[in-house]
Amino acid sequence: MVTAATLMETRSPAPNLRPTMPAAATGQPAGTAAPAAEVLIDIDHLDFFYGASQALYDVSLRLDTRKVTAFIGPSGCGKSTLLRCLNRMNDLIDGTRVAKGSIKIRGVDINRPDVDVIELRKRVGMVFQKSNPFPKSIYENITYGLRLQGATTKARLDEVVEKSLRGAALWEEVKDRLHTSGLGLSGGQQQRLCIARAIAVEPEIILMDEPCSALDPLATAKVEELIHELKTKFTIIIVTHNMQQAARCSDKTAFFYIGRLIEYADTQQIFMNPSNPQTEAYVSGRFG
Amino acid sequence: MEPSRAAEPAEFLTGRRKFHLFGLTIDECIKVFFGGNAVVSVVVLALITIFLFKEGFGFFGLNQQSLRVYRQAGLEYVDIIRAQQDDHTALTRYLSDLRLRQFNYFTQQQHLAPAEANQRLAGFDEFADRFGGAVGPIRGLVSDLTETVTAIKDKFTNTENRKEERRQLLAEGRTADAAKVEITAVDFAAELKPLLATRPAYVEANAEFARQLSAVIASAPAMPIPDLQARMDRFKQLTGEYLAGFPAVEQKLKTWDYTRPVPWYQTVTSFILGRDWVTASFWQDWYGVIPLFIGSLMVSVVALFFAVPLGVGAAIYINQIATPLEQKLIKPAIEFISAFPSVVLGFFGVAVLGQALRALSQQPSLAWVPGFPFSERLNILTAGCLLALLAVPTIFTLAEDALNNVPRSFKEASFALGANRLQTIVKIIMPASLSGIISAVLLGLGRVIGETMVVLLCAGNRIAIPDFTAGLAVITQPVHTMTGIIAQEMGEVVRGSIHYRALFVVGLVLFFLSLLINYVAQRIVRRYRISIG
Amino acid sequence: MAALVNPHIFQTRPSAARRWERACFGLFGAATYLVLFCGAAVFLTIVAKGSRTIFKAEAPFINTTFFTDAPESLYVFEWQGKKLEMGDREHRAFIEQHPDAAKVKTESYIYAAGGIFPCIVGTVLLVVGSMTIALVLGVCAAVYLNEYARDGAFIRFVRLAILNLAGVPSIVFGLFGFGMFVIFFGWNVSLLSGWFTLAFMVLPVIITASEESLKAVPKGFREGSLALGATKWQTIRKNVLPYALPGILTSSILGIARVAGETAPIMFTAAYVVRDKLPWQVEKFSDFFFQGVMALPYHIYVVSSKIPQNEYTERVQYGTALVFLLIVAVIATASILLRNNLRNRYKW
Ligand SMILES: Nc1ncnc2c1ncn2[C@@H]1O[C@H](COP(=O)(O)OP(=O)(O)OP(=O)(O)O)[C@@H](O)[C@H]1O
Ligand SMILES: [Mg+2]
Repeated sequence: MVTAATLMETRSPAPNLRPTMPAAATGQPAGTAAPAAEVLIDIDHLDFFYGASQALYDVSLRLDTRKVTAFIGPSGCGKSTLLRCLNRMNDLIDGTRVAKGSIKIRGVDINRPDVDVIELRKRVGMVFQKSNPFPKSIYENITYGLRLQGATTKARLDEVVEKSLRGAALWEEVKDRLHTSGLGLSGGQQQRLCIARAIAVEPEIILMDEPCSALDPLATAKVEELIHELKTKFTIIIVTHNMQQAARCSDKTAFFYIGRLIEYADTQQIFMNPSNPQTEAYVSGRFG
Repeated sequence: MEPSRAAEPAEFLTGRRKFHLFGLTIDECIKVFFGGNAVVSVVVLALITIFLFKEGFGFFGLNQQSLRVYRQAGLEYVDIIRAQQDDHTALTRYLSDLRLRQFNYFTQQQHLAPAEANQRLAGFDEFADRFGGAVGPIRGLVSDLTETVTAIKDKFTNTENRKEERRQLLAEGRTADAAKVEITAVDFAAELKPLLATRPAYVEANAEFARQLSAVIASAPAMPIPDLQARMDRFKQLTGEYLAGFPAVEQKLKTWDYTRPVPWYQTVTSFILGRDWVTASFWQDWYGVIPLFIGSLMVSVVALFFAVPLGVGAAIYINQIATPLEQKLIKPAIEFISAFPSVVLGFFGVAVLGQALRALSQQPSLAWVPGFPFSERLNILTAGCLLALLAVPTIFTLAEDALNNVPRSFKEASFALGANRLQTIVKIIMPASLSGIISAVLLGLGRVIGETMVVLLCAGNRIAIPDFTAGLAVITQPVHTMTGIIAQEMGEVVRGSIHYRALFVVGLVLFFLSLLINYVAQRIVRRYRISIG
Repeated sequence: MAALVNPHIFQTRPSAARRWERACFGLFGAATYLVLFCGAAVFLTIVAKGSRTIFKAEAPFINTTFFTDAPESLYVFEWQGKKLEMGDREHRAFIEQHPDAAKVKTESYIYAAGGIFPCIVGTVLLVVGSMTIALVLGVCAAVYLNEYARDGAFIRFVRLAILNLAGVPSIVFGLFGFGMFVIFFGWNVSLLSGWFTLAFMVLPVIITASEESLKAVPKGFREGSLALGATKWQTIRKNVLPYALPGILTSSILGIARVAGETAPIMFTAAYVVRDKLPWQVEKFSDFFFQGVMALPYHIYVVSSKIPQNEYTERVQYGTALVFLLIVAVIATASILLRNNLRNRYKW
């Protein structure tokens, strides 16, 4: 099976390779990027509101490149909200606003007025809780994002479709029915299709909002395996209610409670030795 | 990972890459395009409302003016006397009805030959003639006065026309010509002098009239049977009341004052409560919406009387009882009926249904049905039946939807408790979908009241309040409707005239009526949705 | 056998409740079939009598002149012991040949001969024009209201107003069109006035229905697309409109049926009782828009209210009614079928 790592190697001239900015313009020399644990997302004292009701209180969080971070916490604590802040999907909801603080991706505050949301979303992909394949063929589902960016040659599209489907561990199952409707797949396959669709545009970050909540254990295992492979290439943030899942596939875990970040540490530590009693209560299943 | 990625952190700041048009990005242009369309739609729909108002409101000013002239030129004065004369005519009509009944009695019960029957009625005829002739002097007076006041009114109209002419000339800048237009203001006081001078003559004539009537009544012939005698007594009583009203009329004439101002609200009330719609009359135009409103209402009531049981019944049948095959065939069939263009239905009424109903009504075996037999082919019933056919699909579809929306669990719970299907329908499903059904009926009403072609072709187009004393038989009378009057008269009116504006006011009434019906229907549905959730 | 002798505890027994149920269901069924019967009676009467006009016994079996000629007066007279019926032109030619014929007692019935070609043309023109206007405005407005506009009090008010305007009687729109386009704008009785009047009549219906269809497209489609970096317009064009289109189509076909079927709004905005020239026989191009046309529904109104009913006039009356009924019915059936079809196909 082709892993994401091989996928990355085969990717020569990167399709979305954009003209390199002069290093001076970025404010930080290109060379200083540390090879490991580079801070990619920097959330700084974020307050977020739905109309008059506050959903996030003073959240600060730094996420590293090519790591899997899990967001956990009881229902309604603001995990999805924070996730959707990261690619500004909350713009779609009327009356939402970031009242205080900032979110920086690669040092750029994504809420600045001159930020192109479209560009942002191309780089920050998202997989939704409820799988939402478009009622088009599998092939079209995956090429949707690329076509938007102007890629049209069939060879190139075919290549990406195969790569993405392999990347999402779906290729073997659907390679003979690429042109049938994506809605004809099983729930787990649909979710993996959505993941394939997200990685086809080669984002840097993939946000996953409870990607397995509608899946059976087998499909869940497949998706988790997939996450494992994807993390060699992408930065992944996953929201989950499943403690085992968080423990299994994430490097770091953030625990939220009623809009606040309670604890953020290595997954190992959160599950074995949480410093906060609330966290402990939650991960050991005493409330939530 | 390509290092280039890290080297382009300002990736998202892409303001300058975009193509711009008038300072907007393409996406914003598209948004503006859609927004523009929305604005145009909304503005035009708002314009409709405003336009209706603008054209409609002018009516009230013009109508007040018309009512003022009605008073100042003395038309009102003459109408007071004319009303007296008309009441007398009504009484003579009562007499002719009585004669017909006697005649029928003689020929049918007593089996007399018509000639003989007429002979027997000679005494009655003489009585009736004397009664009818008594009004002579009054009638003469009225016709004299009519000429007088029409002349005054004409004079006034002329003056107004002159004024208009001058105004136009001035507007064109032809001041010299404008100055040449002679305007002699009508001096109502002087003009009305001869009119008022006839009052003593009237009082005299009236006294004579009253004396004659009393005399005639005193010598009323006896009726052959108690039934008819009762009618004769009633006639005497009515005449007595009529005579008793004379002093009031005289008093009214005495206190009548042409200078009394026409209050502003009268122009509104004369429209809303006016019982006459008379246009293009040599005497006085009246714009009272009541006969039209009642016509629309009657037709709608008849239509709903048929359509509601049929539509709701069919909805219940299809939704709860019918076999799947029936469902599959009948639903589209009923929806198909809703596609019948109303003008085709109207034509069907004119060509087939009107005659068929009349023929049916003339079956002797159906004579017991109120209103049967009737002779007017086009009447409330004909129009109502056709409108029912139009309303049924509306009511059916919406009611069926409402029934469909009742959660399955309600039904299952009821069955599980051992209720049969009818009990479930009546006790569970109907109450749960009641608001939906009510709003379906309301929307059906909206559809029916706004329908034009069917009523225009089939309602008979007689502008008069139907005679409710006939009981149920009232539905076999012809009426005119609000929609029908607009369709019929709009093509012929002068732009900006009072008549034109009156039609707009009728349109406004329809507009608000339909808004109200729609709004209430929606409110009911929304209430119900919340209560289920 | 034992079961028959010995009824078990669940044995069906006649009861009052069951009799009631049977009786009521009978009534409901009767109501349903009565409605169907009435509908069928109207439809079949018109079909039966109308097909005598539009079909004929010999090939090509269709009375082509009825579809291709303009209405004419019908002349009926007795000539050499035979009863002759002639259209206007034919009659004039006949009189030229037989001058004596002018002196014979001739009955004439206006509009009772010839065909209804100009009416069909007029109706088609009216429908095409008004639906173009209404669809462009309506669909775009719906897209704006549903996709772009922020849901505030004003938008909600606009929506409510549009919804309510959908129920306003067509004659009121006719009144408005007459006052606004015919008189205020001075377009007179013309195609243009008719187009706009009809367009604004169906506009609320189209906006409301289009918005419904747009709303029925799941939010996930939009989010999924936007999360892939599509712009709003790309999302709408590729992932919203295609799925809303069937619904929009259905409603617009129903709109066509309504526009084609309405008489009241065109009575004094666009329709002429009779017009000799066909719409394209104009001197200037711009005249095209400012000419009145004959229209099928109005023609039916005219022939059913302004001319007497007898065996001669019946032909054109029923023939026109049938043609019109069929046109509208075909359009409506198409939309009903389309909708039923789509209802089964698109489920997400
Ligand atoms: N569209 C919205 N409008 C208003 N409030 C919202 C909206 N979406 C979420 N909220 C509120 O914001 C808070 C956080 O919601 P969020 O969806 O982020 O929770 P979550 O942690 O993802 O919960 P779950 O685990 O159930 O998905 C909740 O109190 C919720 O009620
Ligand atoms: Mg969530």
